[in-house]
Amino acid sequence: MELQPIFIQILALAIFAVGIIVAISRRNLFFVLMGIELALNAVNLSFVGFAKTLPAEASLTGQIVPLFSIAIAAAEACVGFAMVILIFRNRESVDADSYSNMRG
Amino acid sequence: MLALIYFIILAVIALGAATCVLLSRHPLYGALSLVVSMVSLAGIYGLLGSPFLGVVQVMVYAGAIMMLVTFVIMVLNGARDSRTPMFDKVSLFIIPAVLVLAALVGVALVRAPLGFDAATIRGSVAVTSETLFNVAQGGPGYFILFEVLGLLLLSAMVAAVLMAKKRLGSVDSENVEEKH
Repeated sequence: MELQPIFIQILALAIFAVGIIVAISRRNLFFVLMGIELALNAVNLSFVGFAKTLPAEASLTGQIVPLFSIAIAAAEACVGFAMVILIFRNRESVDADSYSNMRG
Repeated sequence: MLALIYFIILAVIALGAATCVLLSRHPLYGALSLVVSMVSLAGIYGLLGSPFLGVVQVMVYAGAIMMLVTFVIMVLNGARDSRTPMFDKVSLFIIPAVLVLAALVGVALVRAPLGFDAATIRGSVAVTSETLFNVAQGGPGYFILFEVLGLLLLSAMVAAVLMAKKRLGSVDSENVEEKH
């Protein structure tokens, strides 16, 4: 039995599900951001897996777009952790529920 | 056959490390598990024939981003707050909901006809960089995106510095100035 593209997609789906669960259900803010990183990783893997099912030029596009997605994830992590530093300094807590003062 | 064995080993490591992120209590252990997961994903990229993407994954994700994450966790000493529970009652509803969603998408994926194309290009460093920096008139034009990305990273860096520094004229900064 050879390696099939569907195995890659199933792996990406599993990692994405774990990442979303981490991002939504964990209360610690660091884990929320790490879950988002995990989900972004899974999307990149899915991108590459689909790229390998396409012929010549289209497959190259599918391998270049994840580079941009990785760079945007870097920018997102940069701003996200700056916000965590800013809020942590005021509240001395990493519980996501203690940051709910913008609730209407 | 050999590729499938390598894939299964790397997939088990990646998924196991992702589960460790979900279940670990200390954020630093979670970050280290995330590094393991990202490195094994880089191995899968290499296995699939995108070695450049695998190297970028190791350098940018497992290197730069996770270094930032561990640095912030250690600077803020995030484990100091040990009263925060790991999960709450809302998690009981979220986990089945996400699993059902994943099962639905999985069914749709399994039913789709997918097969590796024999004519895919191996995304080596030479081919990828030639396409990325092809400034010809009729080229793909990725270099414009690349420039925009540089601008985005610069603005993100400036925003992060402005947000995270102590405000000038605030009580904290004035106290610091008095000490000098």
